[in-house]
Amino acid sequence: MTALATLPPAQFKSELKPIWCPGCGDYGVVQAIYRALSAIGRPPHEIAFISGIGCSSRIPGYTTAYGFNTVHGRALPIAQGLKLANPDLLVLVAGGDGDGFSIGGGHVPHAIRRNLDLTYIVMDNQVYGLTKGQLSPTSPKGLKTVTSAYGSLESPINPLLQVLSCGAGFVAQSTPADMPGLAAVIEEAIRYPGFSFVNVQSPCVTFGEEDQQVKAHKGRMQSLASKGHDPADYLKALELATHYGVELYTGVFYRNPNPPATYDAQVRERQAELQKTAVPRERILEMFQKG
Amino acid sequence: MRDIVIGMAGSGGDGIVSAGESLIAAAASLGFHAMMTKSFGPQIRGGESSCRVRLSTRELHSSGGALGVAIALNWEDFLKFGSELRCDDATVVIYEAKTGVLPEHIPLGNIKPREIMAVPLAELTKQSAGTEKAKNSLVLGLLSGWLGLSQDTLRKGIQRRYGKKGEEIVNGNLRAFEAGRQYADAHPSQTPLRLDAPAAATTKILTDGNDITAAAAIFAGCQFFGGYPITPSSEVMQFLGKEIWKYGGAVLQAEDEIAGIGTAVGASFGGKKAMTATSGPGMSLKTEILGLATIAELPLVVVNVQRGGPSTGLPTKPEQSDLYQACFSAHGDVLRPVLAPTSVADSFHCTVDAFNIAERYQTPVIILSDQEIAQRKETCDPIDTSKLVVEDRKRPTPEQLEKYTRFAASPDGISPISHPGMKGGAYLAAGIEHTESGAPSASGAVHARMNDKRFNKLLPLESWSGAVTVAGDAGADLALIAWGSIGGVALEVLDLAQAEGLRLKVLVPRLLYPVPKEVYRSFLRNVNSGLVVEQSHQGQLYKILRMELDLPKGLVSYCRSGANPIQPSEVLAKLKALSADARRSLS
Repeated sequence: MTALATLPPAQFKSELKPIWCPGCGDYGVVQAIYRALSAIGRPPHEIAFISGIGCSSRIPGYTTAYGFNTVHGRALPIAQGLKLANPDLLVLVAGGDGDGFSIGGGHVPHAIRRNLDLTYIVMDNQVYGLTKGQLSPTSPKGLKTVTSAYGSLESPINPLLQVLSCGAGFVAQSTPADMPGLAAVIEEAIRYPGFSFVNVQSPCVTFGEEDQQVKAHKGRMQSLASKGHDPADYLKALELATHYGVELYTGVFYRNPNPPATYDAQVRERQAELQKTAVPRERILEMFQKG
Repeated sequence: MRDIVIGMAGSGGDGIVSAGESLIAAAASLGFHAMMTKSFGPQIRGGESSCRVRLSTRELHSSGGALGVAIALNWEDFLKFGSELRCDDATVVIYEAKTGVLPEHIPLGNIKPREIMAVPLAELTKQSAGTEKAKNSLVLGLLSGWLGLSQDTLRKGIQRRYGKKGEEIVNGNLRAFEAGRQYADAHPSQTPLRLDAPAAATTKILTDGNDITAAAAIFAGCQFFGGYPITPSSEVMQFLGKEIWKYGGAVLQAEDEIAGIGTAVGASFGGKKAMTATSGPGMSLKTEILGLATIAELPLVVVNVQRGGPSTGLPTKPEQSDLYQACFSAHGDVLRPVLAPTSVADSFHCTVDAFNIAERYQTPVIILSDQEIAQRKETCDPIDTSKLVVEDRKRPTPEQLEKYTRFAASPDGISPISHPGMKGGAYLAAGIEHTESGAPSASGAVHARMNDKRFNKLLPLESWSGAVTVAGDAGADLALIAWGSIGGVALEVLDLAQAEGLRLKVLVPRLLYPVPKEVYRSFLRNVNSGLVVEQSHQGQLYKILRMELDLPKGLVSYCRSGANPIQPSEVLAKLKALSADARRSLS
């Protein structure tokens, strides 16, 4: 592990030009990630950034870290395999609300209960942007989209409540309307030793609702710190999370004050303990010998 | 006698499979070549269970044909296995007298076995051991007597097997064994059943296809396994879950099949050799990520232990019906190597080959095993691993890392691959089409160029020396082609043919896809007729060969749905008929 004190944010920006629409919230998210990584101080080659499919999943390519833009919904399993293969890496995972809470929803509880040291950033815009404006798992009930011509009939998922209830050790929310706050929670999430989750309300300028744009966010957002919330208070965090979709809270909902051992740390311990008992690979078949 | 097949069936609690395990372990340490297949009903516990144990003084390639000795603890369970426990007029039938069935009324239809013995199995066990639970040891005693197998070796086996359960249980089983032995001595079989002594009591390996596949993965340097439990492949994960940590590796039991292969692809991206294992339904779920590994050019080994399909199909029975899926199931233009082991020992080699091919060509490779090989126990000669080469992916040199281009064009289509943590090697891996540098691209020209790269790099595989096994009379105009466990049947057919003076040659492909076309062309050059034998309804290999090659008109498909064993004798009969037809039409 190398710690570099002064790698400026620009060192994390790649030469690829984003495909995002002008004004997309994801520009803000990637800027905040550059800042957070600069503050963390790990060089780009020690960072791996894994994503699924969607507008936001293009994000690894816009950094100078190793990136893997995988398939829809599967960023979390791929990131976990990578982290176990090389636990020294700083592993970031990113995707949209559809990637994480619809097609890939089955992986979220398991990534959380396994508790590898990963940071999962979801850019939640309540709509499918890449496929041009369909209903998403976080779209509010009644939303009219190209696939819900008369208004959606189902209630949205509450990502905050879901990850909190699964036992995530670090849960935060922010918006590109608050750049310093966004960069700060991403940095704090990376520093948390275990699975950390940041829900970024990242506006879709093309298909999103008026009240979900950066300008509206600026007027609506309320910092949890200013409300006096103690991030060690799990029950209060749950209560605050129930306001998802109504209030726009920013900052840390929950940070486990006593982080348990991560899965990757336990794997290392097990390997160290059992390596002593290994027969050389070349003689592995001897265990099957008879006579 | 030199070769015998013993088939036994009972209900779950009878311990018939454990009797088979004891028998094969003893036979292996006595130096016999031996093979054991197990078959169960769908019940979790209890239900019907059976095993076939084949013992021989010669090397074996298949679990054999009709039974030499059939042991039925009750007829209802025995009959459920149908052709898996086929009897004929040479079979010696031993059954539980308590069933009350008269020897002349045993329910084997038109078959008139050579000898029938009703033995009071339960009664003898109760008298000797005090409990009917030791029935399996009584059966072992009977077989020890009739086959002339070393009592000491079998007794030692019983002591080992029940040692943990306490002295009382060990002694009960030893008394049951003795009672069986005495019964056999007092009631000698009319049919000669005594086995010849094996040539030499050499050290043998005794294991099954799943365990040896997992061991081979460790030998090949696999350091990550991600998977989800599924019959009949779970033992691969179970074995690695015990062993891989010792080699700095990890096993992750994933939340589903997709996450299983996903974690493995992630580990491979991280620079480690990685594997997943599954069976048909799981393979269907993994398909999308297989395509990802192909386009991102990541090495990966995927084991599919085939069972009967489609859907849940026959989860505990063998079939060879996933070949199309292995070769073709991914959207887009994909060329994905598919290997099939032909025996337990070959599962070791096949797995090492699969890792080498995956690493050399930076591609996913499928090992298409089947339930028969995966779960059958088999003796093999020790494998000299010092003769085997283990390859690793081509990594970039320090100079290449100065200005690294992940998918750089090269004459052989293989580009050095970096991994996270390697300074200077950072790149974007992606499922999206990309340029040489890894930048996403929607250009038709780039797409065509990269498809060329991904296809061309695999061309040398078609002339790989391990692609096929060829045996028999090279000049014969009669041919037999079979793969996987049926490849073993084909080799036995060859033995039978040679004994009868029939000129025959056999080709058993280990590389199913891409089809090694030149190898087939040269093999088929003088062939007029023959069979492609498969255990599937469609005969999938035959159709793939027809797609890729001009086959001789007389080479036809011979196939049958899974769980219906294909007997060497029936294949031989069919070949003889074909050969006769061909001659008639020529004259």
